Amino acid sequence: MSADDGPGLYVESTIIMTTVRVVAPFVLTFALFIMFHGADTPGGGFQGGVIAGSVVMMLAFAYGIDSTRQWVDVRVVAALASGGVLVFAGIGLGAMALGGNFLQYNVYEPYYYEASKYGIELVELGIGGIVASVAIGLFFLIAAGFGHVTGEGER
Amino acid sequence: MIEHLPVLLVVLPIIGASVPLVASLYTDRIGWSIAVLTMLAYAALAGLLAQQVWPDTVVSYAVGGFALPYGIELVVDGLSLAVVLLISAITLGVLAYARHAGPHENTFYSQLLLLVTGLTGMTVTGDVFNLYVFLEITGLAAYGLVASGREASAAVAALKYLIIGTVGASLYLLGVGYALAVTGTLNMADMSGKLAAVGYDSTLVLTAFGLMVGGLSVKVALFPLHTWQPDAYANSPDSVSAFISALVSTVSAYALARLLFSVFTVDFLTAVPAARWALIVVASVSIVAGSALAVSQASVQRMLAYSSVSQFGLVIAGFAVATPIAVVGATVHLVGHAVMKGGLFAATGIIERETGTTTIGGYAGMGGRTPLAAGAFTVLALGMVGVPPAIGFVGKWYILVGAVEAELWPVVAVLLASTLLTLAYFARLGERLYFAEPTIREEGAIADGGEGSDGGERAEGSRSSSEPRSEGGDGDDGENAVSTGMLAVLVVAAVLAVALTAAVPALEQLLTETLPPLIQ
Repeated sequence: MSADDGPGLYVESTIIMTTVRVVAPFVLTFALFIMFHGADTPGGGFQGGVIAGSVVMMLAFAYGIDSTRQWVDVRVVAALASGGVLVFAGIGLGAMALGGNFLQYNVYEPYYYEASKYGIELVELGIGGIVASVAIGLFFLIAAGFGHVTGEGER
Repeated sequence: MIEHLPVLLVVLPIIGASVPLVASLYTDRIGWSIAVLTMLAYAALAGLLAQQVWPDTVVSYAVGGFALPYGIELVVDGLSLAVVLLISAITLGVLAYARHAGPHENTFYSQLLLLVTGLTGMTVTGDVFNLYVFLEITGLAAYGLVASGREASAAVAALKYLIIGTVGASLYLLGVGYALAVTGTLNMADMSGKLAAVGYDSTLVLTAFGLMVGGLSVKVALFPLHTWQPDAYANSPDSVSAFISALVSTVSAYALARLLFSVFTVDFLTAVPAARWALIVVASVSIVAGSALAVSQASVQRMLAYSSVSQFGLVIAGFAVATPIAVVGATVHLVGHAVMKGGLFAATGIIERETGTTTIGGYAGMGGRTPLAAGAFTVLALGMVGVPPAIGFVGKWYILVGAVEAELWPVVAVLLASTLLTLAYFARLGERLYFAEPTIREEGAIADGGEGSDGGERAEGSRSSSEPRSEGGDGDDGENAVSTGMLAVLVVAAVLAVALTAAVPALEQLLTETLPPLIQ
């Protein structure tokens, strides 16, 4: 089903497409910056993840929701979400296996001297992945309802 | 292992949620099994936790081993334990229902487990900011679940839910900001001491209270902040409406109680009578307005949704009265309402599958067509009204006794009136089910007449009932058939609605031993 059937859902505009193409890499970089700086400045996985997810929404505004849906690989989104969860839970449960509490980073320090710092960074990245993929998934899920009024389309 | 139980309860479902996503690269039908395995393990952990808390222990856990007022603390006392056990039982019930009723996609079960993560986190956390994080996780998962309905109306309902829910969560976050500014801490226990030191009449403290309670009231769906709720309940798939109607508002109401008793404490409520009265007034208005709106609905699911607005008013009124007996009553009603409302939504799902009807007019004469579902529906409805052996009676009775003891006569009047109002809308439905002539023929043709006010619902009912369906004969129309699992869930819910009464003394003992001091 092409997006043209919708009641003015998508309007092709050279200005928007060009702007999005220029801005997208910077937004993605900014998202990573926010994620990496979560430990010592305001920011973190949640905020960074939302910014990263917004890149896909920007693309959807510029190029149409349906074409973006086809372009974004479902497997990448799924891998981001479950990979993020597994990184987060793995680091947390690993600390418990080493005799600490959940997410107690300093039990890793005998093995690697900067474990606390990089442990937090990894967890932030994991959370960022989860949040970004959930935001993208939610966007497509809600958009599906508006695009396909007949109800035969999902995701 | 045993001391890590609180955090394992949160981590287990989130790991479970990530597995179906990976698995969907290979098969799209494994989500249910993974969810069941996860929830069985969850139930085992919840049981172990109950063993630890019973009869008078408060379990505390420092995430990351950070020293306590600074790190995130998880706390499990009698109240949170009751909610954790409820989450465990309801989720298993919904899974048994969804086995046949669907949705069958892996992503549905991922979202379901993510919702369980959020709800559990809200229940066990002892940190006001952490509560916000889990509130958002709960919200995101719930929006996604509502949007998984097939009709366009589900997406609209999800979008409305998303916007209003986000406003509510933001209000709560703003309140947390004020509380942090005035106390410098986010830990609930630490914050309650520092709020007392600052003085309860400080403008900052009052603002924080107003924003946090206001934000949570949106999530609980108290009148007039309930507008997201009927659409979300009525437009999502039946498994989803049973699940979110039973748990999402329930856990938010729990969070509100946690805030009242563990953060602001009853000293705040006695020092600032205006705050207590504000809560009581909102709750009372909610009881009356919710019932009045429920009476005027044509669709059964919307009626049940408005009934929730009214019943949560009752629960919050109980918490605001804040005497020990009223709090026990509110907790009993919180748990009882979850079981009964989940069961009622499951019953509407089954009745819709068997007869194709969703409106009160269409329920006419269906008592004979679907005896088991209609019977269970009636038992649950009577329980909700508060007919004595059922759990609904005990909850309301305790809240009433608490209000009488506290000499809050307006509350007593509203409580008594609410029972009559609840009877008003459920009795109408019972009368339709058993004493009215069917308006829908065996063949599935819709007779005209009946409620004409809800054109869309009628049209939908006639669309789905014009499809060929077998009345339990050859049972091979996969999509609309009713499985034994679905009926079993319904029967268990109806039995629980009565049997839970036996657990009330245990809950009462648990709450008296572990809750912070209440108004005597």
